[in-house]
Amino acid sequence: MIPTSADDQLVVLEEELEPSSTPTVSGALEPVGRQRRRTSRIGPTIVLVACALFFVLPMVATARFALQNVPMVNLGWSTVFDRWTLRPILDVLGEDQFRTTVVLSLKLACLTVLFTQLLLLPTTLWVHLRLPKVRPLIEFLTVLPYVIPPIALVAGILVIKPSVPWFLNSDYSLIPFYAVLALPFTYRALDAGIGALDVKTLVDASRSLGAGWGTTLARVMIPNLRSAIVASSFLTATVVLGEYTIASVLLKETFPTFMAQYGEGHGQGGMALALLALLATTALLALLTILTRRRGVAAQSATVF
Amino acid sequence: MTAALIAEGAGDTVAPAARRSWAWLGLLPFFGFIGLFLVVPAISVFTKSLVDADGNFGFDALTNAFTGDNRDAFAFSIKLSALSALIGVVIGGLLAYAAATARRPKFLRSLVTAFSGVAANLGGIPLAFMFVALLGRQGLGTKLLDGLGYDLYGSGFQLDTIWGFATVYSYFNIPLMVLITLPAIDGLQTSWREACANLGGTSLTYWRRVGLPVLAPSLLGGYLLLFANSFSAFATASAMTQQSAIVPLRIQFYFRGDISSGQEQLGFSLAAWMIIIMIVCMGIYWMLRKRAERWQA
Repeated sequence: MIPTSADDQLVVLEEELEPSSTPTVSGALEPVGRQRRRTSRIGPTIVLVACALFFVLPMVATARFALQNVPMVNLGWSTVFDRWTLRPILDVLGEDQFRTTVVLSLKLACLTVLFTQLLLLPTTLWVHLRLPKVRPLIEFLTVLPYVIPPIALVAGILVIKPSVPWFLNSDYSLIPFYAVLALPFTYRALDAGIGALDVKTLVDASRSLGAGWGTTLARVMIPNLRSAIVASSFLTATVVLGEYTIASVLLKETFPTFMAQYGEGHGQGGMALALLALLATTALLALLTILTRRRGVAAQSATVF
Repeated sequence: MTAALIAEGAGDTVAPAARRSWAWLGLLPFFGFIGLFLVVPAISVFTKSLVDADGNFGFDALTNAFTGDNRDAFAFSIKLSALSALIGVVIGGLLAYAAATARRPKFLRSLVTAFSGVAANLGGIPLAFMFVALLGRQGLGTKLLDGLGYDLYGSGFQLDTIWGFATVYSYFNIPLMVLITLPAIDGLQTSWREACANLGGTSLTYWRRVGLPVLAPSLLGGYLLLFANSFSAFATASAMTQQSAIVPLRIQFYFRGDISSGQEQLGFSLAAWMIIIMIVCMGIYWMLRKRAERWQA
């Protein structure tokens, strides 16, 4: 387990992996009398229940709205759970544009993952091995995308567009920019994963057994870093699959821009797409949690902070 | 890139001084990437807002960004972000505290953190649609409230007003706040509360004199982070409104389609101001963050 996050602003997704961090505060209530404790739980319970409602109701409403078969005017208490249909989802699945945009978004996601790993894995390893002094600088650079929001970044992209039209006219020009947007997440995941290993010893051992750098990378580093790589790849994929700002301003037809456009004409269809996106994102992140848990290494950040 | 790195590592036997200068080369691909795809676009925004179409240098565009509709957009964006951040800090802080101190369902804390990890990243178009489904004019929640005799829209609520935006933004702000304050809340030591009680302090004294002052940098930092988060939100807002009431939407307004509005310099100025505001917020955030970490060792 990595000695987390006092100094690197990681938020660990799976707190149960660090049981030591939990009891401190619950212990704080211990010395107080029993009666007192019971009354003091009412407030937190209200907060928890209210928040649960706030977060669950929009999802329930989306599911119901997308799958309902009641004329919208008649929607009300008497018809809340009345008739259901899969029609909106089937309609959307039958759209040509749905297929093309989903395919493009999936391609972009895979290529961005590949691009990110090829660039960041060697860089991060290199920094840990040879240039530990520049770590703060790299860390600073990787949070820059937070300071330059996508809408400002895309304004800058429009400035350089006339100089490199051949590049920006291609749908695949989105890849490096998506890699930039995902950088805060990906770098932190890799950095934490590498920090948890004794990289120097592993490399020395591998080298003294006669392995070259390529073998060391492929057969020692990558297997050891599997969960960090998986985590950063999934986070990259979620960023790419949900990115709307840059794609819409550059007039690229990705899944999110299709969703926005389709939802304008088809209320229910838009909800159906939102439902699919929601399920896909949740599935991706849940899968990530399961995959990284099995490896027994603390799961990586879901946010940079 | 990999090849360059490997080839270079082969020069292991070089003298230490020479090796150090070579080691920098391994970072070239990364620096090139950041430079080309992040720094160059960001700087172009500033040069475009400082130099007009005829090539004259001046601050006119930057000051013009605060006139007319754009000034209204800035005012609205700032008000909206301030309100959203306040809601996020208060509710997120309370939720984090409730989750950290709850002991009954053992899985509660991990459920809250895992869900927060998902929800904090949930922005964008689907989020907007989810709230249209719940609280839109034809939304399920609106209809059900109506059935209970409460006319939501009659009371002045609308998704594209300040309260509507703030409600939707809370969906990603609250979880983000939970994630960043949990470590701070864990840092509150049992012994401090006991010491306070031993000295005759009540629960109120404890919070006023110990708890909140220790948490203050985290809460303030969280406020700035959520402010920045709300200020830069674009996708969610664009699916919720047809107007360009907030700054990110104003920027897009100037660049709709291809550049040809003739006023694109104003768009770049807005983007430049946006980056400046983000730099200020995030800069103070990082400073406060360092301070907050003092109690989290």
